[in-house]
Amino acid sequence: MKKNRIVMIAAGAVFVIAAVLSVLILRHSGGTVIEIVQDGAVLQTIDLSRTADQDIRIVSPDGTSYNIVSVRGGTVKVSEAGCPDQTCVHMGALKSENLPIVCLPNRLIVRFAED
Amino acid sequence: MHTKRLVTLGLLTGISLILFIIELRIPNLLPIPGVKLGLANIVTVYAVFRFSARETALLVCARILLGAMFSGNLSALIYSACGALCCLLGMLLLRRVLPQKQIWLCSIIGAMLHNIGQICAAMAVMRSLSVIAYLPILLVTGSIAGLFTGLTAQFIVSRADPGK
Repeated sequence: MKKNRIVMIAAGAVFVIAAVLSVLILRHSGGTVIEIVQDGAVLQTIDLSRTADQDIRIVSPDGTSYNIVSVRGGTVKVSEAGCPDQTCVHMGALKSENLPIVCLPNRLIVRFAED
Repeated sequence: MHTKRLVTLGLLTGISLILFIIELRIPNLLPIPGVKLGLANIVTVYAVFRFSARETALLVCARILLGAMFSGNLSALIYSACGALCCLLGMLLLRRVLPQKQIWLCSIIGAMLHNIGQICAAMAVMRSLSVIAYLPILLVTGSIAGLFTGLTAQFIVSRADPGK
């Protein structure tokens, strides 16, 4: 009787902490410099306030798939992906410095640079 | 008796695969990697409370391997395997502590452990810590989905064979 009380309180506490952190993470924030990271290595650093609109094609580490990272008017998003789930495309533009755009199959991350 | 057990496990594996494939057809509400309803987890939670640890592990392994093949998304295998392993270990331990009326709680914690395992795998594969930002969001959505699947499993356990 006692043990399941503890389990319930622990689960409740984790839920509340996670909910608070989610709100903090989803807040709109971020700088202007972004970086494109693949396999833990930075491929490109782009200053969104200065660069022209462009599409960057990034081939996956095993060479069988790709992502297209689009810079449009100071925002960046993944506009195309060669994987079945397309989650990174549906995520839309990069908004928060805490929440990078991630493509798990192609091991690609688009995030704001820390400076 | 042994054959009956085998057939039941095979049937459960089939049911969980069907749920898994139906779920692939449901569009994702939140475009965040790793957010899922986890319908197949209903069967796992049911098995945790009705079968031995070994039998449940067999069921889950078969589901994950076959599910990855059927969905054609083999690259997602490592994430789902790590998540499912954490989830299964946690739920098997919780089974000793929680009564049958709190299967929903077991399922919620299982879902949370699944998310933690997934994120750990993602951090290892991507060699980057920044994916940890997804963990709080996954924990919140995961526990809501876990509550739903857990309640479903609880109803099945109490209706299908209440005598045990």
